Amino acid sequence: MLTVFELALRSMRQNVKHYYLYFFALNFSMSLYFVFTSLQHDQAVQNMTYPSVDFFAGFQIAGVMLIIIVGIFSISANGIFLRRRSREIGLYQLIGLSKGWVARYLIIENILIGLGALLAAIIFGALISRLFVLILLNLLDLEGIVEIGFSVPAALKTLMVYLLIIVITSIQMIWRLYRSTLIDLFQADKRPDLDKPPKAVTSAIFALLGLALIGYGYELSGHINKQLFVNALLMLGSIVAGTFLLFRITIRWCFYQFRKHKDGHLGLTNSLSVAPLMHHTKANANSLTLITLLSAMTITMISMAYSFYYSVEQETRRDLPYDFMFENERQEAQSFKKDLEKEGIDVKHHVVEAVLTMGTILNPNDESDKFEESLLWLPAEQLKQTGADINIPPDGEVILYNAGASLAGDLDEQSKRYPTKIELEQHGQTVMYTLRTLMERNIMNLDAPGNQLLVSEATMDEIAKEMAGTPDYKKIRFDTYQVPDKEELSKASSLYNAKYVSDDQLTYDFYTQYKEVLQTTGLLIFIAAFLGLVFLISTGSILYFKQMTEAEQEKQSFKTLRQLGFDVNMIMKGIIRKQAIVFLLPLTIGMLHSIFAIKAASFMIRSNTMFPASIAMTIYTVIYFVFALLTIRYYRNIVKTLCHNHHL
Amino acid sequence: MNQLNVGETVLQARNVHKTFGTKGNTQHVLKGIDLHVTRSEFVGIMGPSGSGKTTLLNVLATIDHTTDGTVLIDDEDISKLSNTALSTFRRNKLGFIFQDYNLLDTLTVKENILLPISLSKMSKRKAESKFTAIADVFDIRALAKKYPHELSGGQKQRTAAGRALIHQPSIVFADEPTGALDSKSASSLLDVMEKVNQQRGVTVVMVTHDPVASSYCSRVVFLRDGKIYSELYRGDKTRHAFFNEIMDVQAVLGGDNVDSF
Repeated sequence: MLTVFELALRSMRQNVKHYYLYFFALNFSMSLYFVFTSLQHDQAVQNMTYPSVDFFAGFQIAGVMLIIIVGIFSISANGIFLRRRSREIGLYQLIGLSKGWVARYLIIENILIGLGALLAAIIFGALISRLFVLILLNLLDLEGIVEIGFSVPAALKTLMVYLLIIVITSIQMIWRLYRSTLIDLFQADKRPDLDKPPKAVTSAIFALLGLALIGYGYELSGHINKQLFVNALLMLGSIVAGTFLLFRITIRWCFYQFRKHKDGHLGLTNSLSVAPLMHHTKANANSLTLITLLSAMTITMISMAYSFYYSVEQETRRDLPYDFMFENERQEAQSFKKDLEKEGIDVKHHVVEAVLTMGTILNPNDESDKFEESLLWLPAEQLKQTGADINIPPDGEVILYNAGASLAGDLDEQSKRYPTKIELEQHGQTVMYTLRTLMERNIMNLDAPGNQLLVSEATMDEIAKEMAGTPDYKKIRFDTYQVPDKEELSKASSLYNAKYVSDDQLTYDFYTQYKEVLQTTGLLIFIAAFLGLVFLISTGSILYFKQMTEAEQEKQSFKTLRQLGFDVNMIMKGIIRKQAIVFLLPLTIGMLHSIFAIKAASFMIRSNTMFPASIAMTIYTVIYFVFALLTIRYYRNIVKTLCHNHHL
Repeated sequence: MNQLNVGETVLQARNVHKTFGTKGNTQHVLKGIDLHVTRSEFVGIMGPSGSGKTTLLNVLATIDHTTDGTVLIDDEDISKLSNTALSTFRRNKLGFIFQDYNLLDTLTVKENILLPISLSKMSKRKAESKFTAIADVFDIRALAKKYPHELSGGQKQRTAAGRALIHQPSIVFADEPTGALDSKSASSLLDVMEKVNQQRGVTVVMVTHDPVASSYCSRVVFLRDGKIYSELYRGDKTRHAFFNEIMDVQAVLGGDNVDSF
């Protein structure tokens, strides 16, 4: 006599074989949760990084996101498995076991599986956490080996998350069990949810509405940085609603029209792709929407994180064109140079003599927008000596350099101000200079005072002569240093920070700034990449489970087709088309969404996001296709086994 | 194929053997069957459970391999065909009707029926006219846009029969086609099959345990222990007279329990 417990144990053993991907996905995400919480509580790594890098918050947010995705994943997978096992559940009841017994059986099994997965996750997590630390240190460009001990609080937190998942899925099981009648259970895989043909007018309206909402969301993405919060919400809302309508109505409508047009002459390939897809429109619409949105989110997240990480050097260079800069500190500059030479560090030293005045940059679009500000006039000829990538403007013409321009607002909007005039007041007289254009970078380090204006040396001398003696007029001598070798630069940076930086003064050197941003973005890419991987594996697995279940349901069709004389390859052609639709549709739409989302978010980043984003997308696509291939392989096995068993 | 050459051999089985299982534990199901089916015959295969009738049908219908002996359909030795060739052969020359219909749930009646010619290069117009013709024969034209789950058992089986005939196969194999039908649906199906057999000259080989069903046949072959026990020809007899004859043989054979009551 089997007890409930033994039966559950036996069933679980069988399920492990069946649902290895489920265990892999669940284990991977939970191991990652364990690693992230371990890192969150770990001091050693934290101490190695700059204090400005907020480790704790980063891993905490990542942990919350992991819990959310694991929740979505578990509920979806559990739903699929329950539907798949509905016949078995029905059979227990048919032989006279009560719903209470079946509920107990399912819950025991669920807890056993959960405990197994928990143990595996913690063991696996503890084993791989070392690897993760190494990857993280590598990303942050830190040297040294860090020991990471087994974290008890992390294990406890992981346990809590597991309990939460078990409770949620158990409730889901009980709800399903008590809600469904026997006939539901026995026909779960037979009854199609083929809706009545969509009413032409209504669905055409909704189909177009779906497209219009997505279009509106895309349109918003172009100018999201005005009223950021409202626009971002609107964009998100309209894209989510639009995507749902797209899958629920638009695509279904297209399929319906296509099939109607075929008038029964569907052909084998469509019979195996379009027809079964239409068979489960409602369920498919929900899961495809979910997967599309998750994919879009993942791709955006990884692309942005990678763009940040990828452009650190470029971005820092925009702010700090020189490795080191001294402003009117001749003696210190000299001593710094001597120190470097003593260390044998190869350094290029150039002096730039500039002029600081007050003046007004006019706004041709708004006459009232007029205020005096500090203007730093930099001689182009001298800058060129330092190796700066600039052209010498004609005499009397000015170019404004501002690395932070796009952060201050829409760059296209700002560029409408140019060309404009600069007004200088000198001893009661007004002199005008033509400001040609704005460049989004600096030609002197960030900590130099005033708006950076590039002029020819002759023009600067003229301004110096005219403005001498006006209030706030100042001559500034900049000592600039470039250290071409990266390792020497690191040494030079520590020397600089040890001796020439005082607390009361804001100074930046390129290397320190670069390292700091690198660590922040490195942490970002570390978290984003692994979260992305979890998202990807979860969405891929959900698709795989769904297709696996559908494959089981379609077994009889394949068998019939084999008997009718269609060979494996003909059938596979139809299956591959179905998989192409199932996998490519969410991927392409998700990717399109993310392209616009990246466009919207790219005001945060000055460098081009295209290259890093396309790398991230390529990697995502490749891994995603592995799931498509796994699914196709599963189908092929089913079709092949069928003919093997039946000598077909 | 459209030409009717009555008397021409369609199927010829010579000394067919079939064993199942591995060495030491073999089960000899068919023990040397010889069967000859000529064009536009309607052959019923009867026999008690375990007599090998379904195995014989599977072997004849290329769904299973023979252990020994040859099967020729349209002068082609099917045991010599490769898997791919067999598929093509089944698609072009054979039609199937199964007890549990085996319709594709996701396809409408029309789509199901058109499936066997879906890979042929037939024009849409020609396919359409073929469909109309076959749907009229089986009286399912009004059901064209319905899905299997919306149909009764009889309607499903008539759809399946339509699918078996759409590509004008040389021979149709039917495995207990009336097994899951009530008697009224069964006789209406058999009426149409008889009509198709007589008017269009379609060759049918049908396995059944139901003497009523086999009384529609032009010949009934009785199997016992993997061998042909006897054969009955209907000739000019009425269906009722033929039915009585079949019952007599069954009584001797021991028949299925159900039928001997």
